[in-house]
Amino acid sequence: MSSITATAQEAHLLARLREGDEAAFTALVERHYGTMLAVAQSYVKTRAVAEEVVQEAWLGVLKGIDRFEGRSSVKTWIISIVINTAKTRAVREARTVPMASLAPEGEEAAVEPERFRSATDAFPGHWWSYPRDWRELPEDALLERETLEVVRAAIEALPDAQRIVVTMRDVAGCTSEEVCRTLGVTEGNQRVLLHRGRSRVRAALERHFDE
Amino acid sequence: MSEQHVSCQEVVELVSDYVEGALPPDVASLFEEHLNFCDGCVVYVEQLRDAVAATERIREEDLPSHVRDSLLTAFRNWRDP
Repeated sequence: MSSITATAQEAHLLARLREGDEAAFTALVERHYGTMLAVAQSYVKTRAVAEEVVQEAWLGVLKGIDRFEGRSSVKTWIISIVINTAKTRAVREARTVPMASLAPEGEEAAVEPERFRSATDAFPGHWWSYPRDWRELPEDALLERETLEVVRAAIEALPDAQRIVVTMRDVAGCTSEEVCRTLGVTEGNQRVLLHRGRSRVRAALERHFDE
Repeated sequence: MSEQHVSCQEVVELVSDYVEGALPPDVASLFEEHLNFCDGCVVYVEQLRDAVAATERIREEDLPSHVRDSLLTAFRNWRDP
């Protein structure tokens, strides 16, 4: 679906929603629920609280529907509401709230340096031994529930900023522009956080398959 | 001028940007040249793509019926206070 078609379709849904059309509400909920849950959970961690945040966010959507001017996409707008709701909830529960600035901290190698030949070697910086080809695993290995659990756990264990960016980009399918705008991060920082988060998820999968 | 190249250790730091199409053209060239002769990095890039694909799959597609019901109730309360 082209983004123009999607935008027009969503504008139509919103118009019907303002008129109290239940089917339009249901359609919007179905479309955005998974995304909202993922983003909420990246802030509040537990599934149960995330579900409550999503419910509360929908109330925020309904209350704010008349003020939505369409300057951002509906998805971006809804996600902003989820994030604000999640942050408020986290503060109320005296949890650790993600830092004020979502900036990458310090240095972090995508792969441990020991896996590469040293500077004095004939082939500095090259693999000591190649990573394992996952094509050699049983066919469904990457689709199995167990594998998805490993990925879920890896994402949950990410540092806050990485977790939020990976969730919004790769789980929720937001564009880098949507992420930068919603979170107030620079494109450069967003890319570093995404790189680090993805690298850790890959490493978690590697450990899982090497067992 | 000596020939530029990237090492595997550098490649693994560039993969995410490469997959996003965010590498500057000259760096992307070096990156791709490296993949031409390094099977290890080809595998690594595949692994990262697989990790991203698996991450995309953890999004829940189904709306639980208890959630739908509860949201519909909230909607009706909003619409007809």
